[in-house]
This record gives sequence, C-alpha cells and structure tokens, in this order.
Amino acid sequence: MSVIRFDAVGVRFGADSALDDVSFSIGAGEIVALVGMSGSGKSTLLRQVDALHLPSTGRVTVLDTDTTSAGGRELRALRRRVGFVFQQFHLVGRLSVLENACTGALGRIRGPRLGRVSYPKAVRAQAMAHLERVGLADRAAQRADTLSGGQQQRVAVARALMQDPEILLADEPVASLDPETAVQIMALLREIAEERRLTVLCSLHQVELALSWADRIVGLRAGRIVLDTPATGLGRDEVMAVYSQVGPTLAPIR
Amino acid sequence: MKRLVPFVVLALVIAATAAITSIGLMDVLTGTGWAYAVEFLGRALPLDFPPMDEVLALSARTLSIAGTATLLSVLISVPLATLAAHNTTPHKAARTTSRAVIAVARALPDVILAIVFFRVFGLGATAGVLAMGLHSVGMVGKLYADALEQTDPGPATAVRATGATRTQTLLAAVIPQATPAFIATALHRFDINLRVSVLLGFVGVDGLGLATATALRRLDYQRGLALAVVILALCVLLELVSGLLRRAALSTRRGWGLTGALFAGLATVAMLIGADLSLGDGLGRLGATAELFWPPIAPTGVFADLLATVRMALAATALGALLAVPLGVLAARNVLPRAGGVFRAFIVLVRGIPELVLAIVLVVITGIGEAAGTLALAVGAAGLLGKLIADSVEEVDPRIEEAVRATGAGRWQVFCAATLPQAAQAMTGHLLYQLDVNVRAATLLGLVGAGGVGFVLLNSARVLEFGAVTTVLTLLLGVVLLIELLALWLRRAAA
Repeated sequence: MSVIRFDAVGVRFGADSALDDVSFSIGAGEIVALVGMSGSGKSTLLRQVDALHLPSTGRVTVLDTDTTSAGGRELRALRRRVGFVFQQFHLVGRLSVLENACTGALGRIRGPRLGRVSYPKAVRAQAMAHLERVGLADRAAQRADTLSGGQQQRVAVARALMQDPEILLADEPVASLDPETAVQIMALLREIAEERRLTVLCSLHQVELALSWADRIVGLRAGRIVLDTPATGLGRDEVMAVYSQVGPTLAPIR
Repeated sequence: MKRLVPFVVLALVIAATAAITSIGLMDVLTGTGWAYAVEFLGRALPLDFPPMDEVLALSARTLSIAGTATLLSVLISVPLATLAAHNTTPHKAARTTSRAVIAVARALPDVILAIVFFRVFGLGATAGVLAMGLHSVGMVGKLYADALEQTDPGPATAVRATGATRTQTLLAAVIPQATPAFIATALHRFDINLRVSVLLGFVGVDGLGLATATALRRLDYQRGLALAVVILALCVLLELVSGLLRRAALSTRRGWGLTGALFAGLATVAMLIGADLSLGDGLGRLGATAELFWPPIAPTGVFADLLATVRMALAATALGALLAVPLGVLAARNVLPRAGGVFRAFIVLVRGIPELVLAIVLVVITGIGEAAGTLALAVGAAGLLGKLIADSVEEVDPRIEEAVRATGAGRWQVFCAATLPQAAQAMTGHLLYQLDVNVRAATLLGLVGAGGVGFVLLNSARVLEFGAVTTVLTLLLGVVLLIELLALWLRRAAA
C-alpha cells in the first residue's frame, strides 16, 4: 500500500517548470533517497509531499489525503503526520532548544503559544525525552543558536519526532555539515526510521552516502524522474549519470 | 527621466541656499546674536529650580505620558504590522489597508491631533497620550512590519510543516525573531515621544513641557531655563537606560527574559498610574468637536507661514547635511577604523541635545524667529543624519572595497571608487527623509516661537478658530506628500 503517491504532477513557477509529469509511489516503511543536481526539483518535490506547496497539474496523495482537494484544516492534519527536516535546520535561534523542540507539538495542541511555560507540562516532558533520544538532553535550556550545526540538526529531528510522524521528509539534511557529522546524522535518521517504522524520503547530493544509506534511489533531472531503482547492487556510475547527462531540457550554459 | 535628476538636485541645492540666506542666519551668528545672548543670560541666571518634589512629580508625569503613548502605539502596531508584512498577512487586501492606515498615522501631525483631542477630552494626559500614541503608529507600525519581513522564513516553514496554524506559526517562529527589533523600536520611539511631549506642552500637554511653556509665557526665564535643564537631564537618563535595555534584549544570557518582563510590567503599571487617563464623556463629544473643524478657514498670510516652515526645514536640512555628511563618513568604521570613534562619540553627543532645549535657548537669544528654529533643527538633523549616513556607509559590500584595495589604492581612493558609489543612493534617501522629518519638526518648533505654521496652529487653537487647523493640516499633508513623491521619483530615476 502506498503512503505517498504522485500522479502526473507538474509544478510551474511562472514560466519555469520545476516538476514535469512526475509519477511514482512510495510504500509504507520504505527508505528512499532523492538525488539530483541543484535546481533539479528535489526541494519542490518534498514540499509537495508536505503540502507546503500545491501542484499546478496532476495529483499528490499522501496518507490517503489528496492535497489538491483538501482544505486548510485537512492539510494541517496531514502535515502533523509528516515530519520535515531542513538543510538549514530552521530553528528560532533566540529561543531555547527545548522550546524549539516543543513547537513540533503545535499541530495537536490548540491555540498560539509563546514562551516555554505556555506549553503543557506533558509536551515539555515529551520534548525532553526526544532531546534525550537525539543526545541533547543536557542542552535543553541553551539558546538554539549557541549549538553547532550537527547539534542544531538533532534539535530539528527532535522537533519532527514531537509530531509522532508516520512519514519523515528531509531536504539535504547534512549538506551544511562536515562529513563526519553528516554520517552521524544520517545514521541517527536511519535508526529512528527503523525504530518507528517510518516512511522516509530524503534528498541528498552525496551519491556514496545515498547508496549506503537508502533502500531505494530516485533520481531527478530538470524536474523529471530519470532513475528509480533499489539501492542494492546499484553502482556509483549509474547514479552519477543523473548528474552528468545533459539532456535537451537543460538550459544552455552561458 | 534620468536626465532630469541633475536638474532636480541642482534646483534643491539652489532652494536650500536661498533658504539659508533669506533666513538671516549670518546676523544671528555674528553681531546682534551675541548681544542678545549676553542680555538673555543676565536675565536667566541664576537658574531657578522648582523644589525637588515638584521636579520629580513633573518628570514622572512627562515620562508617564510619553511612555503610555509609546505603549499605545506598540499595542496598535503589533497586530497592524502583522497584517501589513507580506510574510504574515492573511490577505493582500489586509496588507494594502493596514499599510494605508500606517501611512495616514504618519502623515497626521501629532500637534494637530493634540489640538483636536484637547477639544474632545479636555486638559490632562488623555489628549497627549492619544495624539502621540496614534501618530507614533506611523513609525512603529512601519518598522515593526519591516522587522517581521526581515525574519528568516526557515523557522516559519518548519513550524508550519509540523501542522501548526497560521497564528501558532506567527507566535512560535516569527515574533520571537522580531522581538529584539520590536523592543529597540519601542525604546527609540519612547525617546522621540519624550521630546515631543515636552514640545506639546506648549499646546497644553501636561508635565515638564507645560511648566516650561507657562514659565516662558510669564517671561520667567530663570524658571524656564532651569526646567529646560531638567528636560535635558531626563533625555540623557532615558538614553542611558534604553541603551541598557536594548543590550539586555539582545543578550544571549538566559534569565533576562523573566527579569525584563517583570521590569516592563512594573514600569507599565507605574506609567498608567502616572498618566491617570480618563476618557470622560469625550467620546460622546467627538461628533460635535469634528464640526468645529469644518469648514476650513484660511488665516491671513497662511501661505507665507507655510513657506516659512518649509524654508526652515529646507535650510535646516541643508545645514545639517553640511555637518552630517563629513561627520557620518568619518564616523563609519570602514573609513576610519580607529580614529572614527571620536566622530561617533560626537554624533551621540549631538543626538543627546534635545531640540527643545536648544530651541528655547535660541529663540530667546535671537528674538522670536525663523533663524532660531532653523539652527535648532539643523543641530538635531546633524545628529540623526550623521548616524544614518555612518550606517549607510558601513553597510556597503566590503568585498568590492577589498577588490579596489587589492589594486593598491589608498584609503580615500577606495572610498571614492567603491564605498561612496555604493552608499550614494541610501544617503540621498536619508537626506529626503530628514527633510520630511524637518517639515514636521519645524511645525512643532513653531509652537515655541520659531514662527511658521506651528505658530498659526498655536494661535488658532487659542482663539478657538479650529477651521484654520484644518487648513494647516491640509497644507502640511500636501507638502509631506510632495516630498514623498519626490523621494520616490528620485529613487526610481536614480536606480
């Protein structure tokens, strides 16, 4: 049974086409890496899954919700079930690590919150538990912008865990980190995905990392899927082809 | 269109020069001015301070009124700015409407609002608080909207991705990022409102300003100047306290949040008690009052008075710029990394002298007139403009400067080749902004006796000819609009 399903999805920004006739589906518990050059449409595709942006044409179905026909309330309910980890971590630097983690619960607690004490005790306890899981319990009271990049990404993972998600999306989660930290974060994501039987879709541009980490590789080039295959037995060169082939749809180099 | 730019600039320079010469500044600076000064000091010394408890009571009253007005503007501005910022607005129409409300608040001069509200609510703090509070929305609301727009969109996206609602996202990810800017703007406006509240004392806003105005009206210069010294001390004190608060708001240390909130809460309660607001039956009288201001009456010579106000503003901006441009350039860290400190300190010092104190002294020294108002404004303009120019010089792209330096160019070659061309546009913008500020300020200084439309306002309020207030308001709005259009056009044409 598929939890993410794209049917002939096209996304246009003005005259530019970011995704073009994209169709694929991902089953429950699959761990998928999305590869492709900068500007190939990886981020756009991920944002479609979380309904942060809606398709221009075609249909995106996530956890049985059709994002094109769902209303605001349904979309928020969907987003609650989908965790998202970003390249630049996207934490509020001035707030504490704990409060940043707590924001992951906003989808299920009602009303706006400002300040650590405005979150229910149970939420704070849960945030502490997740921070413990990512190894940052001792940093809970610190300001988020005092942490290193790897630590900030761990906080972002804890924030996503607060949603108790069924799907985890990650947009180049380690592109801003050094290689060693990158491997640690990817290992953490994989462990968590297996513990919680999450479906994971993660864009990466380190090909070796993608091959060793994912079960399945999807390659995008100029908004089209050009590769979709299990990772086992796949060679580096076959994946690199996604990057090197210059197709007719690519803009000429000026 | 671009070809017209040099002509427009030349016309502005000629107008400014004509304004400076026609005001007769030279007579003030040489000869007669000194004679007045000596005579004035003879009458003003020794200073006659009121008893300590009265000084404290007046200061508390002034601080309460200015503070409550600022609080009011913040309370209105936060929701308004949320509607006005492109990243937080729920709808385009809400954005346009709230931007328009902010622009109107900015265009309505506080002195005119004060005159209107005095008719409605009577003497006391309410009129002053409402007048300054509503007018302040023009600045606070705009800067708050800018602060919201400058936040990093990443955290908001991330929080929205968790399934949070719009309001939850705003509070969890956007407002926390903008809080330091919110606090800094509020403190800055508090500082401005303190000075304005004193000037508004001349139309009846309670506190130190009213006491000063009363003393000067009695020709009791010993008391008047003593009160001016108190005002100066209060301004310096507030500057120091707000510097501390600003640093606390930006501090990375934990624990400041709670202390700050506690302090702010106590200060608010104290202010509200001090301001002692009451609406009375004022709201019921609103309609009847509005009728007083219609139809507009043109007082004799109002156009000459308007011209005098504009002339003061123009001359003051030009004189201020003559001082501020070199000062600001020298104070910029990327021009004189070490020696610049001296100029920075000088700018802070000039900023600290409230225009009112200066104006009173100058008005008395030179006899009532435009020259005094112009000098007072010029000094005020030099302070603000100096800071803005230093900022715009510091904000240029350092990589371009480095590239020019790498060719072996000297310090001033780098400045002319890389720094100045990058900063020029921002500097022009600041100059026109200062002109706009000065038109309003020149109107206010008219209350103290500097002439122009401010004096017309004061008189027509006193003789209950409110139709004249409407005329002056319309004329002022026209002038301000013209300046704004000119600034817009220059920005477009020069871009």
